[in-house]
Amino acid sequence: MALLKTLVSRYILPTTYRATAIRYSSTDPKLAESDDSPVEMENPYKKEVRQCILCKLNITPDYKNHRLLSQFQSPYTGRIYGRHITGLCKAKQDLVESEIRKAQNCAYMPYYYKDKSFLKDPKLFDPENPIRSHRF
Amino acid sequence: MPTYELALMLRAMPKTELKTSLKRISHAIFDRGGIIRSIENLGFRAMPYKTSAHGLVHREANYFVIKMDTGTKAVADLREEYSRDVDVIRQRIFKSQEAFDKTCTLEEELLPPAYRKEVQKMIDVGKTQVNRFKYKFKYNSGLDYYPFQR
Repeated sequence: MALLKTLVSRYILPTTYRATAIRYSSTDPKLAESDDSPVEMENPYKKEVRQCILCKLNITPDYKNHRLLSQFQSPYTGRIYGRHITGLCKAKQDLVESEIRKAQNCAYMPYYYKDKSFLKDPKLFDPENPIRSHRF
Repeated sequence: MPTYELALMLRAMPKTELKTSLKRISHAIFDRGGIIRSIENLGFRAMPYKTSAHGLVHREANYFVIKMDTGTKAVADLREEYSRDVDVIRQRIFKSQEAFDKTCTLEEELLPPAYRKEVQKMIDVGKTQVNRFKYKFKYNSGLDYYPFQR
C-alpha cells in the first residue's frame, strides 16, 4: 500500500501540476518588453579619479609667484616639503621644487625661513599627517 | 630666438637714475639683436637676505623681470655685461617656461607598491641580478659536510 502511495505521488501528481500551471519562459515577448529588464549603464559605485590640488585647479607654479611657492615650505626651517606631505603628483612636485630653488636664487624667497607676512596663509596640507610615514 | 626671462635686482636709487639704468640694460639687449617682449616692475622691497655687490651691502632692491628674445649665444655676453654694471645687484636669466601639458598621475602613485609600474620594473630588474647580500656557503672551506639546514 505504501509503495503504491509513493508511486502515485511520484508519477501522477507532477503530471497534473504540469497540466494546470502556466509556465513563462524568458523568451516570452510579453515579459521582455516590461520595464524590469536590466539596463546597460556605467558602474555607479566607481570612485572619482583623484587629482593633486595644482592639477585640479590647473595651476602651473612659477618662480615669480613666490607667495604660492612659500606654502610648500616649512615655516620653521624653510625646507621644501616632500611629495608624501604635499600630496602633489610627481611632475608638479618636481616643478614646485625647481621653481622654489629659482625663486630663492633670485632673492624672491628666503632659504632658511618663510616670509613672515605669508605665515597666516591657508594651509594646503597638514605636515603632521603625511600620506606615507616619514622618519621625523 | 628663444624667449628668456631676465630677473633683475637693481640697487636703491631715485626714479630718474632707475630710468637711465633700465634704458642702458635694455639697449644692451637691442645691441645684440634681441627684442624685449615686456618689462615687469615687481616693486621696491626688502631682500630676504643681504647681498653684497660691487663693494656695497644691499638689503633692499628694485625688482624687475624683463622678457626678451635673444640669440642663445648672446645670453652669456649679456650676463657678463650686467655683472659689470654697478647698478645691478643680482641678475638671473632663465628660459621662459613652456606650457605644462601632463595629466595628473596621482591616482597611479597612490596605488599599493605591488601595483605601481616603477616598483614592478624594479622587481623585474632585481630578478635578472645576483643577490650580493645572500650568504652562499663555499664547499672548499675544509668541512666535509654541509653545516646548515637544507
